[in-house]
Amino acid sequence: MIIKRNDLKRLVEDLIGQGKRVIAPIMRMGLVEYGEIGSFDDITWDYINPRNSFKEFLFPQTEAIARYRIGKKDVELEGVIPELRETIVLGSRPCDAASTASLRSVFTWGAEEDPSRFRDDFYLMREGVTTVMTIACLKGDEDCFCTTVGLTPESPEGSDILLKETVRGNFAVTPVTERGKAFVEEWRDYITDEREDLKEIEYPEVLEGIDTGKIGARLSDVDVFDDPVWQEVARKCIGCGACTFSCPTCHCFDIVDEATGYEGERRKNWDACQFEYFTLHASGHNPRDTQFKRWRNRFLCKFHIYPTKFTSTGCVGCGRCIRVCPVALDIREVMEWLSR
Amino acid sequence: MDREKKLREKARELLESKEVDLVIGYGWTRYGKRVAPVFITRPEDVDRLIWNPMCVNNLTLYITRKYPDVKAMGRPAVVVKGCDAKTVNVLIQEGQLKREDVVLLGIPCEGVVYRQELYDGEVTKENVSPKCVVCDVKNPPLYDHLIGEKVEEGSGFEGARNIYQEIEELDKKPEGERWAFWMEHFERCIRCYACRQICPLCYCERCIAEKNMPQWIDTSAHGRGNVAWNLKRAMDLAGRCVFCGECERACPVNIPLNLINQKLSMVVEESFNHRPGYESEGHPPLIVYSLEDREDFIR
Amino acid sequence: MEEKGWEPRIVAFVCNWCTYAGADLAGTSRLEYRPEVRIIKLPCTGRIDPLFIIKAFEKGADGVLVSGCHPGDCHYTSGNYHARRRWIVFRELLKFAGIDLRRVHFSWVSASEALKWRDLINEVIETVRSAGPFEAYRRLNP
Ligand code: SF4
Ligand code: SF4
Ligand code: SF4
Ligand code: SF4
Ligand code: SF4
Repeated sequence: MIIKRNDLKRLVEDLIGQGKRVIAPIMRMGLVEYGEIGSFDDITWDYINPRNSFKEFLFPQTEAIARYRIGKKDVELEGVIPELRETIVLGSRPCDAASTASLRSVFTWGAEEDPSRFRDDFYLMREGVTTVMTIACLKGDEDCFCTTVGLTPESPEGSDILLKETVRGNFAVTPVTERGKAFVEEWRDYITDEREDLKEIEYPEVLEGIDTGKIGARLSDVDVFDDPVWQEVARKCIGCGACTFSCPTCHCFDIVDEATGYEGERRKNWDACQFEYFTLHASGHNPRDTQFKRWRNRFLCKFHIYPTKFTSTGCVGCGRCIRVCPVALDIREVMEWLSR
Repeated sequence: MDREKKLREKARELLESKEVDLVIGYGWTRYGKRVAPVFITRPEDVDRLIWNPMCVNNLTLYITRKYPDVKAMGRPAVVVKGCDAKTVNVLIQEGQLKREDVVLLGIPCEGVVYRQELYDGEVTKENVSPKCVVCDVKNPPLYDHLIGEKVEEGSGFEGARNIYQEIEELDKKPEGERWAFWMEHFERCIRCYACRQICPLCYCERCIAEKNMPQWIDTSAHGRGNVAWNLKRAMDLAGRCVFCGECERACPVNIPLNLINQKLSMVVEESFNHRPGYESEGHPPLIVYSLEDREDFIR
Repeated sequence: MEEKGWEPRIVAFVCNWCTYAGADLAGTSRLEYRPEVRIIKLPCTGRIDPLFIIKAFEKGADGVLVSGCHPGDCHYTSGNYHARRRWIVFRELLKFAGIDLRRVHFSWVSASEALKWRDLINEVIETVRSAGPFEAYRRLNP
C-alpha cells in the first residue's frame, strides 16, 4: 500500500481539523524536536532523530496528579483525570517506537500477572489514545547504534504503522498492530494499492566489539559493581540529567506538592538517577554518593535491570545520550569495555 | 610550533617529577571523534592529551569542590584556555582555591568551536564560539607554564555574530517582545540543570533549586518554575560569570544563556567597573558595596 | 485588558527598623492611604532575596515595592547598601527579561517619614495600575 505525499498531507490536515493532536518533527531554535504541529507544512523532513524522544507526549515532564484545598475543617482532595486528546505521532523513528514497550514495562510492572499491582493509568490512558506512525530511517548518524542492540532502521516494534519512503517520495504503508490496521481502514481513501520501489535503507554499522549478551552476563556478577572501570569512565560525568531526560526509555519521576496559600497540586515530574539528591535518604546518607556511582546505575538499569526484569530492552540505541553529553561520555565505550 | 607535543612533554615532566599527581586535559573519545575531558595519572599516558579547536570544555570545573573524587587523586595540573584561566581567578577570589593548589598549563588559543559537531577542520565565523569573537584573553591571564608561543590578541572573526550587539538589539525591543522572546526559551527548559552542573562557579553545596523547606523554586518544568530558575541562576552568577560559555553549550535545548549572563556582566561593568576573572584580589562585586553606588531609581 | 473594578495587588517588602516604623507611624497618625498594599516585614533590606520578588509575582502580585532605611541609617550598618547594589543588577535583569519596571519600586523611608510613605504608596499604586494586571506572569502557571 502506498500513501502519496499529497494524500499524507490531506490526511494530516484532516486529523488536525478533527481536533486531534499530531506530533511530528519540527524545527525549533535550530533543533529538530518532536512537537505538536498546526499544519502539515510545519513538519521538518530533513532529520535523523529529533533532540527529544516522543516520550514526553505519553509521560509528560510535569503533570498534576491530584489537587487539594485546605478547608476550615479538613483537606479536600480531588483526583485528576488527564486531559486526553487522540494523538498521532508521525515520523517517529523505529528506536523511539520500540522504547514505548520499555516505558510500559515499568508503568505496568507485575500487573499483567497480578492485577492487584499498581498500573500507572496516567501513562496507560495516554498510550491508549496514541497512534505511532513510524518512518523508517534512510540512514543513521555517527551516534546511532540500533543495530548493535537488536533493532534496525526499519524495525516495526512499537509502531502501529510503519512507513517507508519510496523513490518517488511517497510512503509504503505497513500496518503493524490492530490499532494500526483500524487506522489504515479508517483512512483507506487516501491509501492506494499501488506498488513503488523503496528508497534504499543504509543500516548503521554493527559495532563488533559489543555483545549485549556478554554485557548482561558480566553485569550479573556482583563483583563488577566494584570494578574500577566505572570510576575510570564516568569520572568526567558532571551529573547533569541531559542524558536521562533525552533518553526515550528513562522513566524515573518524583512527586512534589506545589501549593499557593491554602490550595495546591501534587505533581509528577521527571527525575533522574544522575542527580545527587535522587538517592539522598532522610537520614542524610546517600548510597550513591559520587557521580560515577550514579552513572553506573544508569548503565546497570539499561543493561542489567531491564534484561533481568522485563522482556523489553533498556537501551534502543538512539544515541541521544551521546549527542547531548557535554563531556562526551559515550555509552558505547563502556558497552565495549564490558563485552570483553 | 606544535602545542600538542609541548603539552605532552610538560605533562610528562610534571608527572615524572611528581610535581603533580594528575593532569586534567583533553583527549579523543573512542568513537565519533569527539573531544572529552581526560584524567592522566601516569607519564606513559600523556600521549592521550590533545589540543585543537574542539577542546571546548572548561576543565577548571573538576578542581572545584563539586569533585571530591578528583580531589582525592592528588595535586592536579589543568589545561586552561584564557577564558578558563579567568575562572581560576574567580575561584581564588572566592576562597575556593589557593593559587598553589593547582598547576595551570595555559594554552594560547585562537578560538574554539561553539559545538563540537559543527567543526569541520576549521574555526570559521559560522561555527566559532561567541565568546571567542569578543575574547581578549587569547593568552591566558594566569598560568604556570605557557604551552607554546603567545598569539595575537583580537578577534579575527569579522562578520561573526557579536553577543554584545545582540544584547543591545534585544534591549532596544519593546518590553513585550523581550518577554515573549525569553518566555519562548524558558518554556522549553527541561530543568536538567546541565547549565548549573557544568558551571565551575555554580559550586554551592546545596543549590537553592534543591531546597524544599520551603520550596523557593518549583521543581516542575512549567513556565513558572523555569522563569524562577533561570532568573535566579543569572542573578547568582552576576559579577562572577567569566563567559566561558559552558552553560549555553551544555544546554540540551539551546537556551541562549550567554545573552542573559553577558547582559548582567555588562550591567556590572557599567555600574561597578568590575570585570570578573582578570584578577584574584578583592571581592566579587555583589558581596561588597560602595557609598557611591547609583540610586537614581530609588525614591 | 483591564478588568472592571480591578485594583492592583502590591506586595511591599520593608525593613523592620525604618520603613515599617514609618508605615506604622502613618497608621497611628491616621494618615489615609490606599489599602491595596500587603506589607511584609523583614529585619533588613539586605535580607530581601530577589526570589522574594519572583515569589510575589508567582503568587499573583501586580507590583512590588522594596523599602528600607536611608543610606547611613541601616540598623545593621550596611544592609541597605548591599541591597542597593543587588537591586541595581536585579532591576536590569527584570527589564531584560521583559518585565515592565512600572511594577517594581524601591524607596528609602525612615521611621519619621509617615507622609512620604503615604504619598509613595499612592504613587506606586497609580503606577502599577497604569501597567495593568500582570496577566503575562499568571499565564506561566501550569
Ligand atoms: S541509553 Fe542512550 S542510546 Fe540508549 S536509549 Fe537511552 S538515550 Fe538512547
Ligand atoms: S553522562 Fe553526560 S549527559 Fe549524562 S549526566 Fe553525565 S555528563 Fe550529563
Ligand atoms: S574565549 Fe578566548 S581563550 Fe576562550 S576559547 Fe575563545 S579564544 Fe580561546
Ligand atoms: S541546561 Fe538548559 S534546559 Fe537544562 S536546566 Fe539549564 S536552562 Fe534548563
Ligand atoms: S554562567 Fe556559564 S558562562 Fe558563566 S561561568 Fe558559568 S558556565 Fe561559564
